[in-house]
Amino acid sequence: MDGPGDHPLRDFFQPESVAVIGASSKPGKVGYAIMSNLVLGAEGQLGGGFHGKVYPVNPSGGEIFRHRTFSSIKQIPGRVDLAVIAVPAASVLEVLDECAAKGIKAVVMISSGFSESGPDGKERERLAVEKARSHGMRILGPNCLGVINTSNRLNTTFAKKAPPRGPISFVSQSGAICTAVIEYSQEEYMGFANFVSIGNKCDLDDADIIDYYARDPETKCISIYMESAKNGRRFYESLKKVVPKKPVVILKAGRTATGAKAASSHTGALAGSDIAYTAAIQEAGAIRARTMLELFDFSRALAYQPPVMGDGIAILSNAGGPAVIAADVAFDLGLPLSDLSDETIGKIDRVCPPTWNHGNPVDVIGDADLARYTAVLDILIKAPEVHGIITIVGPQAVMDLGEVSRAIVELSGTTTKPFCASLVGVVSRASEGYLDEHGIPEMEVPERPVRAMKALYHRGLYLRRRGLR
Amino acid sequence: MNEPDPVDVDRIIRGARAEGRGMLDLWEARNVISGLGVPMDHAELAGSREEALKAAARIGYPVVMKIVSPDVVHKTEVGGVKINLPDNREVGAAFDAMMSSVRQKLPGARVKGVLIEEMVRGTELIIGSSCDPQFGRMLMFGMGGVFVEVYKDVSFRLVPIAAFDAGEMIEEIRGKAILDGARGYPKADREQIIRILLKVSEGFRKHTDIEALDINPLMVTERGIVAVDARVILGDAGKGCPV
Repeated sequence: MDGPGDHPLRDFFQPESVAVIGASSKPGKVGYAIMSNLVLGAEGQLGGGFHGKVYPVNPSGGEIFRHRTFSSIKQIPGRVDLAVIAVPAASVLEVLDECAAKGIKAVVMISSGFSESGPDGKERERLAVEKARSHGMRILGPNCLGVINTSNRLNTTFAKKAPPRGPISFVSQSGAICTAVIEYSQEEYMGFANFVSIGNKCDLDDADIIDYYARDPETKCISIYMESAKNGRRFYESLKKVVPKKPVVILKAGRTATGAKAASSHTGALAGSDIAYTAAIQEAGAIRARTMLELFDFSRALAYQPPVMGDGIAILSNAGGPAVIAADVAFDLGLPLSDLSDETIGKIDRVCPPTWNHGNPVDVIGDADLARYTAVLDILIKAPEVHGIITIVGPQAVMDLGEVSRAIVELSGTTTKPFCASLVGVVSRASEGYLDEHGIPEMEVPERPVRAMKALYHRGLYLRRRGLR
Repeated sequence: MNEPDPVDVDRIIRGARAEGRGMLDLWEARNVISGLGVPMDHAELAGSREEALKAAARIGYPVVMKIVSPDVVHKTEVGGVKINLPDNREVGAAFDAMMSSVRQKLPGARVKGVLIEEMVRGTELIIGSSCDPQFGRMLMFGMGGVFVEVYKDVSFRLVPIAAFDAGEMIEEIRGKAILDGARGYPKADREQIIRILLKVSEGFRKHTDIEALDINPLMVTERGIVAVDARVILGDAGKGCPV
């Protein structure tokens, strides 16, 4: 795969030096929060701040976090790869001129007051784009949080926290969805490689970011929140190119007439019909999430687990009710359950009491101890008719959740078949974290791992139908 | 069946343009669809009562009669469709009635004649093409008749499509069991549907003057799949679909 080294967007993700125009030493200001995130690192960002140089720019001078503040961009001694603009909208055009004079080609425009805010803002945005084009400069934003890259700890946002490092790269049209995902990522062990809040998309749009993610070796799964594409056909073409290499999950909001109306007032952009988005997403082979929870669950599964490479998965449970719910949801979603062979059933007979249900979901009964549960799991892993496994564990006195979690993780290492899990009703305990930390998406209700597995099945079907695996 | 003839399609489109028309009449639309490589049922264009009778005799009773006019958008609304005509007496009467009905309901409409068409029975499918302002040319496939009107049992893709896209479009239809011959419906040859979808996709992509087309119904019969009715609309010259 090509590296991102020579990618046109390289400076947005891998700059060696960043200037913050509108940097501030006053806590509570956006320009302070950005400096703090860049220099000290945001909450949850292990290992401190950005690896490269940071140049605060503010006419009042002084120092911010022990960094000398420059009164203008042109006084910065070295080269500047990326400018982060956080000044009021009225000064932005002037700042762009100064950036151009310094030879800066990549600009993150955090400032709001552009096309999202009436005709004056719209005109200002048009002029900014015109200026950028004439200088060969690219703009991310305006009205955005900018970029987080967890590998070099670049963080141009004024968000309070940063997500943990991991294989997912995210792009969002909504800044609020960004911060919500960051919060969630820390609870649910979702790791991110890159994070982009794309704002008004006056220049760079989803298609550009996807193209970069396609080439970024850290990115294993691309997740998108969008309300409208700037150019639908271009978005589709870029998806079509990346999906053979990496799975893409899209939460395209504004599906309904009511939602679309809310979106158009939010972004002021022309949206294609939802039928067209649906067709484009399906045809490109991406996966559509309908809710935030689906966006999280699909992304986690696709980033951490291999695809389902056959027609049939198994549900293993020590709990009857949750297994029935899981089976219903699998049916609703069109996720096929394996018909267990006589051989597999014979093997399970040998380790289960005769009252087990002899079917799939495999209910090993509530009194199952660790030995029984793991023996059956091992049989299912080895069954050729099983291509993915959902492990459901209802908490019992006879089986320790920590022990069974460790056993599931250990056995999952013996196969390329994907795993999703539910420790039913268990929220925020060490055992749950153990599964997540080891790449097995675990959710507290049984329907969610089924949906996550469906995403892995969809991915497998895509690859198999196109002969890609 | 007619072999596809792209030159013919362009000539028909140019002819309509020369007359300043954005909609093709039924005869032109049939020739365009056929020119894209979609099999059509048997039909002849008849310019007079006498020609209609002769055409009906050649095609074999019962026949269908449809008005052929570039000014008629909805044929049934002007009394422009008569089905299941069993003999020459009925064909003659239908011709007279159709002419007077169209003259009365749409005075001044240019009438090229009537189409005399074999009476085809089977399962109705629909293929349609349209243009989305953001995504450009799109192709629709689904169950026709009541299924499309009430259940909206259709699937969309962006043009151009590949063979497996066409296969997936069929898979996405809720009524697909009917295509596989459920409850005595004629079994549809999926490969033939896929071929037809690919031809329409390719033709729609290539002939950029076409803004929208409908094949409704595309009929699954015991003898194979044929298009029975067609509509073709040309875009504003030079404007058309964004992609």
